[in-house]
Amino acid sequence: MEDRIDFSALDPRRDEVRWTRTVSALVSKAVAERHRRLSIEQQLLRWARPVLAVAAGLSFVSWTAGYLTANRAHRISTVENPAALNLAHWAANNQIPEPSDLYGTLGGN
Amino acid sequence: MLPHDESADLVHRAQRGEAKAFTSLVQAFLRPAYSIALSVVGRPADAEDIAQEAFLKAFQSLDTCREPERFAAWLFQIVRNRARNLLDSRRLRDVAPEGARILEFVTLPPETAGMRESLLSALADLDIEKREVVLLHDLENWTHHEIAEALNISEVSSRQRLFQARQILRVKLCGERTQDGHAGSEKNHAG
Repeated sequence: MEDRIDFSALDPRRDEVRWTRTVSALVSKAVAERHRRLSIEQQLLRWARPVLAVAAGLSFVSWTAGYLTANRAHRISTVENPAALNLAHWAANNQIPEPSDLYGTLGGN
Repeated sequence: MLPHDESADLVHRAQRGEAKAFTSLVQAFLRPAYSIALSVVGRPADAEDIAQEAFLKAFQSLDTCREPERFAAWLFQIVRNRARNLLDSRRLRDVAPEGARILEFVTLPPETAGMRESLLSALADLDIEKREVVLLHDLENWTHHEIAEALNISEVSSRQRLFQARQILRVKLCGERTQDGHAGSEKNHAG
């Protein structure tokens, strides 16, 4: 113990009042910052659940609409589309269409 | 220094925003942080600023402290980084003659200021690693076990550094002479 170097002249705690003030100010700043951070996280958590529910609902509606539209488009393209019918008819009867018919069927003028 | 479990408990409570936990952590580690900063920058006023800034930074990123039981080691790393940044900016800013020491003396009576100047001047002859150990041991009253944990060194290294630091400081402070009559500094030995 007697070998110790006396560093008390460098000890910031020598000025007790100033040191206490420094500690209090530091703690106040840190606590305020922490509470602000926690508050933001809590706000996010509070909003997260309804936002997720709405997002899930929207994605379900979007998926359903997409599914129905795709089905209808498929029916139109295969059943109501004359070009498809003509092509299917030629193929079934092993016919080779005239270039002008083919051109007309595929939408040429 | 605080025991591991107490340190971890305080960190967890501080993460939840408990003001008392913040106060305990600051009371336990602000002056050690100052010692580490002083070891790097050599100016008490700068060291105090760095210690406080490092603490604020540590509290802001408290969630990233992976080993709360080793809070001191984590905090000291932040302190060292801040201190080194300040040194870098000081090197760019200060236009001082090469080798000149810049010391600050404020709000202290002349006799204390004289002692302070002597201590700072003597510390300047040590490398940073020895300054850290001697300040943590002789100013903070930390044990070698605590120092070794906080600085990530072995207890043997801590003892060796303290022994060598004290030798050099005593020569410088007391004007003692080594046996061959040469009062050399560590830098002189190293160089």
